[in-house]
Amino acid sequence: MSQPVIVYEPFKAGLPPMRAYLRSLWHRRAFVSEFARSELREQNFGSVFGQLWLVLNPLLLSGVYFLLIYVIGGTSDEIRFGHLTATLFLFYLIANSLTGGVKAITSGQRLILNTSFPRIMLPISAVVVAIFKFLPTLIVALAIHAILGLPYSWQMLWAIPILLISVVMALGMAILISCINVYFRDISSMLPYLTRSLLYLSPILYEASTISESIKQYQIVNPIFYLLDSWSRVLVHAEAPTTFGLLHSSLFALVIFILGTYFFLSRERDFAVRL
Amino acid sequence: MISLSDFNHDHSQGSIAVSVQNLGLTYTTSIDKKPTLKARIKSLGRGKKHTRTVKALNGVSLDVRYGTVLGIIGSNGAGKSSLMRVISGIVPPTEGRIEVHGSVSTLLALGVGFNQAMTGRENVYLGGLAAGMSRAEIDANFQAIADFSELGEAIDAPMRTYSSGMFARLAFSVAAVVEPDILIVDEALSTGDAHFKAKSLSRMKELRTADRALILVSHALATIEDLCNEVIWLDKGTLMARGNPTEVIAAYREFMNVRKSASSDEDV
Repeated sequence: MSQPVIVYEPFKAGLPPMRAYLRSLWHRRAFVSEFARSELREQNFGSVFGQLWLVLNPLLLSGVYFLLIYVIGGTSDEIRFGHLTATLFLFYLIANSLTGGVKAITSGQRLILNTSFPRIMLPISAVVVAIFKFLPTLIVALAIHAILGLPYSWQMLWAIPILLISVVMALGMAILISCINVYFRDISSMLPYLTRSLLYLSPILYEASTISESIKQYQIVNPIFYLLDSWSRVLVHAEAPTTFGLLHSSLFALVIFILGTYFFLSRERDFAVRL
Repeated sequence: MISLSDFNHDHSQGSIAVSVQNLGLTYTTSIDKKPTLKARIKSLGRGKKHTRTVKALNGVSLDVRYGTVLGIIGSNGAGKSSLMRVISGIVPPTEGRIEVHGSVSTLLALGVGFNQAMTGRENVYLGGLAAGMSRAEIDANFQAIADFSELGEAIDAPMRTYSSGMFARLAFSVAAVVEPDILIVDEALSTGDAHFKAKSLSRMKELRTADRALILVSHALATIEDLCNEVIWLDKGTLMARGNPTEVIAAYREFMNVRKSASSDEDV
């Protein structure tokens, strides 16, 4: 008799067999991209105007904030507008991952109850959607950079590792919040307030250098504060990011990712019963 | 959670496909409609119980061997679907152990993973990928799926324009081309019109080979009797009978009739 291929035993909190899990996840990667594509299509981003909206929406938003802060405030310079748009776009990568991730599990009920697959694919797909929405805005940010005549340097290549850190952060947050929402369904209705607070607490509408030291010391608990600051230094000022900024954001990204993934993986076999 | 193409074992007739040992499944469902943080905070310190337990399966043991077509019958809430979900790894058991020797494909509900906004063609890929096929496997089988569904040109129309029969036909077609070692089908045969029903039944008969195990859940007792060579009968989570289809179905019918007449007596 052959060895049992799969054994199912009572659920215990703890990680599933990781090698089999990762192999299965890798095998299903085509599903993640197809699922994300269908999600985008459903939100009408398959059409020309839908895609245009993807660029227009953050652009209009940054225009509104620009009006609000700098025109009414009386000061306006290129650096500040460049900073506002660049950081706002990166912020939306994180925020979209959160809003997409929060309902990833609860809205995938039919799929979860009827098919066996690594559940983590659902929040991952939500992040893939957020990345697809982010990419066109990156081009807009670079275009604005050129139009405003902001400086260029090789230090701007730091944007690549910072973007990687952001993706890890977005994944961690999406995975964590999708799991929490299974147990506390009202998290999804609280989320808009959470992202809004995060927006105001992060150096987007202002630059990190403009706030006082006494306030700044509390910003160490904001996971994306130094991420956005580094992004602005690199992309807008064309400077190298600070070592502290890089360390702070990578540490937060890794901790959130590992915590979220552990929490998710040790709980996911329980999801089908909870839905 | 293992994809179909990972295993291409040769299974001889009579070797064990699925072994279920003393399986128990208890659901803990929350009393509140939805579990919320608000509800949890409100009941803090009151020692209020949030949950209610439901015993869906109790001490079920059975072996399914290759070459078997196992039918599962029982009234609503007997635990049929729960048993299917545990065997396919969707829900973990509360007690006992399940060993699966081979690749499993489940057809528990039709059109899982389908997206109404996409065309039939795109949904074939989406549904196939959700079922664990690779893109290359779907490419190779696409024509067969399209032909089987008999949708014709409608395959390129958005799915929201489909009638429910068209939807079911396409969904069954996607599932029918998968050729797993172990196929689990829950109430999916009764789709479409009489013509398509006959067609899906004959497809199920084609899938009845010596190196495959089929597990079917159905209320259509005649179909079960026709297709299966073994039947189990579940009632309230326990295994009532197992064996020859004709005998088990007869016992089940008798049981149902007794219960019916007993309850109709009560009314008098």
